[in-house]
Amino acid sequence: MTGSLTATPADVETDEEFRARLRAFLTDHHPGKRPRDVVEGRAWHKAWLARLFDAGFAGPSFPREYGGMDLPFTRQVIYQEEYNRARVPGPQGTGLGIAAPTLVKYGTEEQKQQFLRPMIRGDKVWAQGYSEPEAGSDLPSLRTTARREGDSYVVDGQKVWNTHADYADILFTLVRTGTPESRQKGITYLLIDAHAPGVTVRPLRDITGGTHFSEIFFDAVRVPVANRIGEENEGWPLVRTSLGHERAAGAMNQAALYRRVVTELTALAKERGLTADPLVRDRLADFEVRVRIMRYTGMRVIADIVSRGEPGPASSTSRLFITTFEQDLHEFAVDMLGADGLLLRDDPRSVQRGRWVGGFLSTRASTIGAGTAEIQRNTIAEQVLGLPRDPAMPPR
Amino acid sequence: MTLTFTDEQEELRASVRRFLADKSPSEAVRRWMESEEGHDPAVWRQMAEQLGLQGLALPEEYGGAGYGPVELGIVLEEMGRALLPAPFLSSVALAGQALAVSGDDAAKQRWLPGIVDGTRTAALAVSEEGSSWTLEGVRTTATPKGEGWALEGTKTFVIDGGSADLLLVVARTDEGPALFAVEGADGVSRSPLTALDPTRRLAHVTLEAAPAVRVGPAGDQAGYLRDVLDLAIVALAAEQVGAAQACLDLSVEYAKIRVQFGRPIGSFQAIKHKCADMLLEVESAKSAVYNAASVAAERIAGAGEELPIAAALAGAYCSTTAVHAAKETVQIHGGIGYTWEHDAHLYLKRAKSSELLFGAPAAHRARLATLVGI
Repeated sequence: MTGSLTATPADVETDEEFRARLRAFLTDHHPGKRPRDVVEGRAWHKAWLARLFDAGFAGPSFPREYGGMDLPFTRQVIYQEEYNRARVPGPQGTGLGIAAPTLVKYGTEEQKQQFLRPMIRGDKVWAQGYSEPEAGSDLPSLRTTARREGDSYVVDGQKVWNTHADYADILFTLVRTGTPESRQKGITYLLIDAHAPGVTVRPLRDITGGTHFSEIFFDAVRVPVANRIGEENEGWPLVRTSLGHERAAGAMNQAALYRRVVTELTALAKERGLTADPLVRDRLADFEVRVRIMRYTGMRVIADIVSRGEPGPASSTSRLFITTFEQDLHEFAVDMLGADGLLLRDDPRSVQRGRWVGGFLSTRASTIGAGTAEIQRNTIAEQVLGLPRDPAMPPR
Repeated sequence: MTLTFTDEQEELRASVRRFLADKSPSEAVRRWMESEEGHDPAVWRQMAEQLGLQGLALPEEYGGAGYGPVELGIVLEEMGRALLPAPFLSSVALAGQALAVSGDDAAKQRWLPGIVDGTRTAALAVSEEGSSWTLEGVRTTATPKGEGWALEGTKTFVIDGGSADLLLVVARTDEGPALFAVEGADGVSRSPLTALDPTRRLAHVTLEAAPAVRVGPAGDQAGYLRDVLDLAIVALAAEQVGAAQACLDLSVEYAKIRVQFGRPIGSFQAIKHKCADMLLEVESAKSAVYNAASVAAERIAGAGEELPIAAALAGAYCSTTAVHAAKETVQIHGGIGYTWEHDAHLYLKRAKSSELLFGAPAAHRARLATLVGI
C-alpha cells in the first residue's frame, strides 16, 4: 500500500536498477524545450505527462489499481531525485499534490476509478477552490454555499487565489452546506466541473503582472451529489490529507532546485566582478550555508522516516526555512545587481531576463499561499511545541 | 552519511542525559563555576569510570572505545545542554582528537591513556592575541634545541589551559606550523582570564624557551593541523546545538506556565512565533552539525574531503543559532531572565563565548566562501 516503507517481496528489481531504468527513460524521452506560446506549452506539457503515464512512470506514491506506481518510500525518494535531475516538467495543476491523497483516502471506489487515472495521466487538470475574498487564513469562515436539490448541489459564491484554474477541468472545492455559523462543522468537499454552466474563471493579475492565479465565480452551478467526497458537512477533516510522507520526498526537490539557483547566482556575481566585495561574499556564503542545510534537513527527515517510520520536528519547519530562504535570496540578488536589478523581463537590457527581480516579486507569495508564515508559526508552536491556543481564537 | 541515529546511539544519548541530570544540575553548575577548580573532580572521575566518556571516541589501543565524532557529538550536545563545567571539550574533543589523528604513535602511547581514563587532562593552544583559531595568526615560534624544541610566544583563550597537565601548542617552524607538546612549568607561565562565560575556564599562556616535543606527522603539518582545528569547530558546534535546544525547552516550558493578562504568555502569537523560529533554527543547526560530525568521521577514516566546508558551515550556523536562542530565552522570561538566579544568563554567556572562541560566524563564512569557490 502507498507509503509502505519496504519493497514488496514480488519486487525483484533493486533500488539501483530502478534508478537506472527511470533515468534511462527520462533521458531517452526528454520532451525538450517548452514552446513559448502558452497554449502550445500546455499541450506540450500534457503530451509529456501522458507519455510518462503510458510508460508506467507516473504517480509514484499512488496505488497501482488507479494508475500509480505504488512505490515504497525509499523509491519515492529515488523517483524525486531522478525526476528533478532530468529537469522534466512535473504535474499540471495542483490536483496530484493536494486532491489525489484525499481521493485515495476518502473517495468511494467509483470515484477513485473515475477520477484518479485521468488526473495521474494529466488528461484532466485539477485546481483548488478553497480561499475566498473573506476567508483566507480563517478558511473555516468560507461562505460559498451548496444547496441540495435532488441528486445535485447548487453552488453559489466566489473563490480566489486558484492556481492554474484558468485552464483547469476540475475544481476541488470547499463549500458551505451547514448554517452560516457552522464553521468547520458545515463544510463539504465537492468536485466541480470547471466547464459546467454558471462557472466563470477570471484570471487574476498579480504582483508580477502575470496571471498565475484566478478567481472563480459560481452562479447556480449544478454539481452531482456523486461528486461529493466524504459525507455532507464532513469535508473539513479531508483538507489536510496526506497519504504518507510524499512531501518529505518532494522537499528534496526544492533543495536540489535551490542548489542550482545558488550556484547560478554565485556565477553571476563573479561574472560581474562582485565577489571581491566582502559583504557580497558574506551573503553568498550565507546562502551556501542555508542551501546545504536545506538538503541535509531533507535527508535527515527521510532517514528518520526510513529508520523510525516518522519524521522528527525538522519536517515541520522545512517549509518555513525554504520560503524565507527564497525571499532572501531573490532580494539579495536584486540588491547585488544594483539599479540593473530593476530591469524587468521585457527590457532588452535586463539581467538574465529579469529572473531575479521577477523572483523578488513572485516569492512574496511564498509566505502567504497555502497558509501564511504567521499561521505556520502558530501551527508549529501549538502542534509541535505544545504551546496553548489563543483563547480568543475559535476552536480548531 | 549519518543523519539519523541508531538505537545504540540514542541509548548513549539517554544515558549521558540521565547522568548529567543527576550529577550536573543547575545547583552543581553554579557551585563549581564559582570554585577554584571550575569543575567537580568526582564527577569527572565518574564520567571516566562509569560511562567511559573520556575514552568513548578515542582509539581502543589506548583504552578508548574507538567510536568517533558522531558519538562524541552526541555526548557534547548533552554536555552543552547541561552546561557541564568540565575539561571535556578541551581534553577529549580538542587535545584527545588532535593526538588520535596525529599518526604519531609515540605521542599517542605517551598521552592518550591518561586522557582516556581521565587521570590527566590536556589543552589545545592555538589562538594568539588578535587572532582566533587560525594557523595564519600563529606567531609563537619553535626552534630546535637539543633533542627537542624550545617555544617562544604567547597563547591566549586556551580552554582549561590553566589546569591542563599537557599543553598542545601550535607554533611556527622554518617548515611551517606544527604541533608541540609542553609538560611541566619550565618556561611556562599561565594566568587565568576573567571572561564572559563563568562555566568555562580560559587561560593566557606565556612561553619563554619552554621545552617541547614535536607531535604529529613528520614533515608538513598544515593539512593535519587544519583537520585538528576543524574537528574542534565541529565539536563546539555540537555543544552549541545542545545549549540551543535547552534554551528552546526552557522557553517553551516557561511560556506554558507564565500567566499575564489572565492567560499563559505562550498563547500570544508574539511568543509563539519566537519559539517557532527557535525550533526552525535548532533543527537546521542539528542538520548542519550531524552532517559535520558524519563528515569528520569519514575524514578520520581517510576520506571526508569536505570537512573544512562542513566545519565552517556548522561553525557559522550553530553559533548564530545558539546565541539567538539564548537571547530569546532571556527575552521570553522577561525580568526573571535578567536575574542571576535563572539559568538563562549562563546559556547566553556560554553561547556568546562559544560563538567567538573559534572564529566568529562571519569568519567561518569568509572561509566557506573561499572553499566553495565564491
